[in-house]
Amino acid sequence: MAAEDLPSEFDVVILGTGLVESVVAAACSRVGQRVLHLDRRSYYAANWASFTFNGLLSWIQQQQDDTQPEETQDWCDLLEEGEELIQLSSQSSIRNLQVFTYTSKEDEVEEASADSVNTTEEEQHGPASQDDDSNQENLENHENQEENKENQVNHENQEENKENQVNQENQEENQENHENQEVNHESQEATITEGAEPEAEQPQSPAIPSQSEPSRKKISFAQLEKEGRRFNIDLVSKLMYSRGSLVELLIKSNVSRYAEFKKVSRILTYRNGEVEQVPCTRADVFASRQLSVVEKRKLMRFLTSCIEEKDDQSAYNGRPYLEFLRDQKLGENLQHFLLYSIAMVTEDTPTEVGLASTRNFLRCLGRYGNTPFLFPLYGLGEIPQCFCRMCAVFGGIYCLRHSLRCLLLDTATNRCKAVIDSRGQRISCSHVLLEENYVHERKNVATPPRFLSRAVLITDSSLHGSDSEQEVSMVTIPPITEGAPAVKMVELSSSTMTCMSGTYLVHLNCSSVSSAYQDLSPLITTMFSTPESHDQGRPSVLWCLYFNMEDGSAMEVEGHDLPSNVYVCSGPDGELGHEHAITQAELIFHKILPEEDFCPPAPNPEDILYDGGSAPSSGPEEEPSLQLEV
Amino acid sequence: MSMEDYDYLFKIVLIGNAGVGKTCLVRRFTQGLFPPGQGATIGVDFMIKTVEIKGEKVKLQIWDTAGQERFRSITQSYYRSANALILTYDITCEDSFRCLPEWLREIEQYANNQVVTILVGNKIDLAEKREVLRQRAEDFADSQSMLYLETSAKESDNVEKLFLDLACELIREAKQNKLDNNDTAPMPGEGKTISYLTCCSVN
Repeated sequence: MAAEDLPSEFDVVILGTGLVESVVAAACSRVGQRVLHLDRRSYYAANWASFTFNGLLSWIQQQQDDTQPEETQDWCDLLEEGEELIQLSSQSSIRNLQVFTYTSKEDEVEEASADSVNTTEEEQHGPASQDDDSNQENLENHENQEENKENQVNHENQEENKENQVNQENQEENQENHENQEVNHESQEATITEGAEPEAEQPQSPAIPSQSEPSRKKISFAQLEKEGRRFNIDLVSKLMYSRGSLVELLIKSNVSRYAEFKKVSRILTYRNGEVEQVPCTRADVFASRQLSVVEKRKLMRFLTSCIEEKDDQSAYNGRPYLEFLRDQKLGENLQHFLLYSIAMVTEDTPTEVGLASTRNFLRCLGRYGNTPFLFPLYGLGEIPQCFCRMCAVFGGIYCLRHSLRCLLLDTATNRCKAVIDSRGQRISCSHVLLEENYVHERKNVATPPRFLSRAVLITDSSLHGSDSEQEVSMVTIPPITEGAPAVKMVELSSSTMTCMSGTYLVHLNCSSVSSAYQDLSPLITTMFSTPESHDQGRPSVLWCLYFNMEDGSAMEVEGHDLPSNVYVCSGPDGELGHEHAITQAELIFHKILPEEDFCPPAPNPEDILYDGGSAPSSGPEEEPSLQLEV
Repeated sequence: MSMEDYDYLFKIVLIGNAGVGKTCLVRRFTQGLFPPGQGATIGVDFMIKTVEIKGEKVKLQIWDTAGQERFRSITQSYYRSANALILTYDITCEDSFRCLPEWLREIEQYANNQVVTILVGNKIDLAEKREVLRQRAEDFADSQSMLYLETSAKESDNVEKLFLDLACELIREAKQNKLDNNDTAPMPGEGKTISYLTCCSVN
């Protein structure tokens, strides 16, 4: 806790504790490199972080008033002959933050009928969209939230907010999705119906009659805050493919010992206005009540046949996977499952991609459970930290709340030979890794950043079936309207240690078409019960957050006019798995250390023999295992 | 691991300022060594010692901070699924005592609700340099409902006692939990796993 000085020489200096940076840190430290790992934030994992509820509220606050007055200092006295300075400054990759509280501020005495579920106080209403290009955050919105907290029934405020939002929307230039202007209260009904219309030809099934719920007490905002530490809310929404490169790396490196995992228990899909369970395994298929005997046989035959690549498949290369599926004469049901829930692609995805994705799904199935996915207990934000721990165990030095001000460039070799940290200390190093937020000005302007649209909901019940609080569900959702993005949804129960008992944490993610609110709120209003929706039989949203995050998959490791030994690590991408990050980490590691093994197994502490302080010897090979909570 | 010969496995985690003697306590207990020697802990995640208490074999997995406490940058995941925390300060260093509330805040945030916390004042062999009076530390521990013990890793004073007392307490709690929660049996896992205590809600 004392402000010690850092050593003045390292092999690798890494700024940012996101997944890519942390994996490279562990890999380098593991093979003996001296690693300094910094993050300007007070928490680990950068945009991959997870927060307690209260932690997330402060994060939101920070994003909203993140103006970082970074004083420019003159570092010239630290320069040596033939050196040049490259100043570093960071820029947030979060936009369009909007928060809605749909539950009452304090505990309610009673909650009588199902009708009143939606009449609970709205603390904040009316989002204000904002200009995508500006870094200015939504302050008005936030102020309103504050005021509303104090004054529960504040209709004026809501009115103001509505106007405010309409004005802003009029000014909005980037928004092409005019259909989505339903944020305006008046036009809401119309749009909801529009949104609810599934693309499928079949008529919408009648709305579920509002189940006369037993007077269940709705969880208040005060309770969410009180139990805030029960939540571990991830900024990213991903799952781990059980044979994906992240799981393989965790096993290979023994980093898996720092975390525990839970199996994703089921795959759900949203279809014709209903949430259904997707049969994935042989047992599921046979037990399925949605499928006819003929369908069951067809599905099994199809799945068995597509494991191998065949000639009749390659004839469809370049043509939509949907076309291929249609020609297999599988019928509507199976077609939907195979396209959206198993391949998890869209209608225009080429056949070869669809098939590869299907094979990947099947390959991952059954390794740990009856779905292809795992989820880490306490959230995905644990994963980068586990790699950081591994780095530290092998001597890496960790400093949060500590940043770099500039890189010192050797002009003769075009290599970075040292950095200056936020305390003005000069630290020499052979390689530097930077999280992408530090190279904004150096990005290629020709390709504007892509964004992800995210929403995080705290709900009061599960989308499907009983509220056993044990299920972890992947929910696949075809675009609800033409041109709407395909949304991936994950529903976590309290058994994942990411939310308090009695609540569910729902993550939504898609590539941005528009702002997160515009991309995702129509779907949320359709699938959940919010003050804007009219369907009572669905899970109620208690609290909800929307934001856009820059899509890390657009980022290049090199280029950016940076010295040749400076590498840029991208932030989270929009894919469900972690392939992009792990591939990138391995690539960077091999650029730094071409000859070294990437994350060889760390010795098992039980096999280390201490012999008067001799070096630990690595133990016998272990069966690959992950700590799984059943 | 599931096939091994023990009745209980507990994860014990050490925290406290840099230099208070955390690593020395572990090395003294697990290997009987002092001082632990420079750099000897590189690559070592945790130390293991199996002890026998009233005929039951208890395997203790003792985790050290890996130096992340130096700049107050311990990963949250370090605290997860710990059954017990040993919060250590140096009785000859007022500053290490004053930082305790900060550590307690971290514990409160990231550690399991049922975690057993024990406060340890180390380095009692340096009695002439004592800066924190025993009474003060006891009062503090009392106010936070923690156990308190003073140790010397160097002289091996109370080190054995520290870990054995903890093991007894953990067994007691585990048995209590089992009684209290017969229906909601602990997460299956592999027999008695380190997450044995994590599922039962007592508080």
